[in-house]
Amino acid sequence: MVANRLRLMVVTEVPKLASAAEYFFKMGVEGKRFRPTVLLLMATAMNISILEPSLRGPGDALTKELRARQQRIAEITEMIHVASLLHDDVLDDADTRRGIGSLNFVMGNKLAVLAGDFLLSRACVALASLKNTEVVSLLAKVVEHLVTGETMQMTTTCEQRCSMEYYMQKTYYKTASLISNSCKAIALLGGQTAEVAMLAYEYGKNLGLAYQLIDDVLDFTGTSASLGKGSLSDIRHGIITAPILFAMEEFPQLREVVDRGFDDPANVDLALDYLGKSRGIQRARELAKKHANIAAEAIDSLPESNDEDVRKSRRALLDLTERVITRTK
Amino acid sequence: MLFSRISRIRSTGSNGCRWFLSHKPHLQFLNPPAYSYSSTHKVLGCRENFSWGLPALHGFRHNIHHQSSSLVEEQNDPFSLVADELSMVANRLRLMVVTEVPKLASAAEYFFKMGVEGKRFRPTVLLLMATAMNISILEPSLRGPGDALTKELRARQQRIAEITEMIHVASLLHDDVLDDADTRRGIGSLNFVMGNKQLAVLAGDFLLSRACVALASLKNTEVVSLLAKVVEHLVTGETMQMTTTCEQRCSMEYYMQKTYYKTASLISNSCKAIALLGGQTAEVAMLAYEYGKNLGLAYQLIDDVLDFTGTSASLGKGSLSDIRHGIITAPILFAMEEFPQLREVVDRGFDDPANVDLALDYLGKSRGIQRARELAKKHANIAAEAIDSLPESNDEDVRKSRRALLDLTERVITRTK
Repeated sequence: MVANRLRLMVVTEVPKLASAAEYFFKMGVEGKRFRPTVLLLMATAMNISILEPSLRGPGDALTKELRARQQRIAEITEMIHVASLLHDDVLDDADTRRGIGSLNFVMGNKLAVLAGDFLLSRACVALASLKNTEVVSLLAKVVEHLVTGETMQMTTTCEQRCSMEYYMQKTYYKTASLISNSCKAIALLGGQTAEVAMLAYEYGKNLGLAYQLIDDVLDFTGTSASLGKGSLSDIRHGIITAPILFAMEEFPQLREVVDRGFDDPANVDLALDYLGKSRGIQRARELAKKHANIAAEAIDSLPESNDEDVRKSRRALLDLTERVITRTK
Repeated sequence: MLFSRISRIRSTGSNGCRWFLSHKPHLQFLNPPAYSYSSTHKVLGCRENFSWGLPALHGFRHNIHHQSSSLVEEQNDPFSLVADELSMVANRLRLMVVTEVPKLASAAEYFFKMGVEGKRFRPTVLLLMATAMNISILEPSLRGPGDALTKELRARQQRIAEITEMIHVASLLHDDVLDDADTRRGIGSLNFVMGNKQLAVLAGDFLLSRACVALASLKNTEVVSLLAKVVEHLVTGETMQMTTTCEQRCSMEYYMQKTYYKTASLISNSCKAIALLGGQTAEVAMLAYEYGKNLGLAYQLIDDVLDFTGTSASLGKGSLSDIRHGIITAPILFAMEEFPQLREVVDRGFDDPANVDLALDYLGKSRGIQRARELAKKHANIAAEAIDSLPESNDEDVRKSRRALLDLTERVITRTK
């Protein structure tokens, strides 16, 4: 439903722009739909004090409306996300995305940039339609974070590239901010207290961070537990992620290798060698687990509810904190 | 060159005149472009210089509380009416784009730092509109205790002017993204060099995101909606220009729609936003919108004419930049109505200078230039009517601003550059 509405939302009178904008909303290319899943589950998990089940009858319209608004957040979040992907692909000169040609590859850089802007503007209009200025501020901040994160990634100095702190900050901006602030927005739309909204935020943030850390690991390990079977896409693009950063703490010599850059495949092999000798992969996994646990705690801290739907959703959210860690792709 | 509106060497040609902005191609932090701009730069006559520099005239202190002795000569210049305020806005804009990443800041700031004297048209219109609107907010007698409120409203309206400029510049940056292999990206290299493309996209995104945050801070979702729609229009307009079919290129209707999207939407919707922030009624907000829209359309039409005529009243002295880039504007569209043969010439494209001369020939024989001017005048008049339709006010500041806005509708038509 959300996916269909998304497709409708990007309709425009200029055909080229329409096909550009809806490129990634086509069936089959929607990505893992992770984010919307989390948001919709959160919406249900939150719906605690809105209406008691016994009162649900006459309140149906209200509940439906709230639900629609929360679904709107899921749509907005996806539009913002895809907009940033479109721009990132232009910035990275990527030629594939989600298993198909990237939009910039298929339709040119400029159209990809314009399509991204278009999605962003539609997201803003949809945001405004919720008539909640706090939610508008939250998601506007996300947009800024996404740009900041991308900028950080593109303009790092050597110092910064080797800093775990810088990396985590960048990861927050690029990955976790969107989901954490959308979760918070879901809570706010649901009329929750600031404390509950913070719990939603913390869930999203830690889930996002855990997700990214495992992503980093999988880029090295792939579907096998051993090194080097992954796509190694990050390191080949000179992007230094958690496992390497941890390895650098154990092997300062690795720092020199990193500084030399990774245009030379021999350097990649050398880095992998150090990585294999280090506890880099394990420590990254451990950090991911730590964040997943914090996320789970946030759900456990939500105010009690006897509603079966609410409890189911919360179990599902907890389940996600497991899956995020154990996934192999 | 990256940030120049002149970047139309490629044959797809992509841009009608954007008003009020041109730039000198001096960007030290960027790599030299693949092609040289020096020759084309001279050729550009149609683009206004946009500058945040202080005006040459003595500053007229814009005081919303009472009128100091009026300086008659400043009253004749709408720009001086808001000059001081404008520099405040300019400074705030500069602050707003400050960021920890120097490269990005200088890229974005570049546009706000034009040293060249220019007209600062758009923000001027918006600030004048803000005053012209301030009718029922507070009666002068009540101004005392309401000062803080008035100041706050003013600050919010200034914020619109800032947001508008950020959106405008962001769209220029994104429009300049090319598809050629003009990027030099040192992936994996230590001294990471951002190609022109990267900088353009990122700087544009940066400005857009700052605009979003600034918009959100106004805590007015209707205004958010308005300005978000503007971004959509800018994108749509640019895409229209990039992807026209032959039919569309020769259609006056398509042209006017594209012109609305690319030029008039920004100013019309910002004017409307100014009115809404000022708590005006929907009718008054519509008048502000109509003023902006028609002023914008008038401006663009004259821009089109000047591209042919330049500073002389005769043909061919202008830069002819539009036609050389295959952009068919109002004068040619009008001429095509009189001379259907011109249509074939247009369809052949303008890579061949002989074809350009042929088109100019037809244009000269036709009433194309005059009709474009007439249409511009018509829109300027509608803009003026909108101001005249505003609810009466006895406030001297309000009246002065309205006179200035009316004055602008004249200047837009009579300007020669």
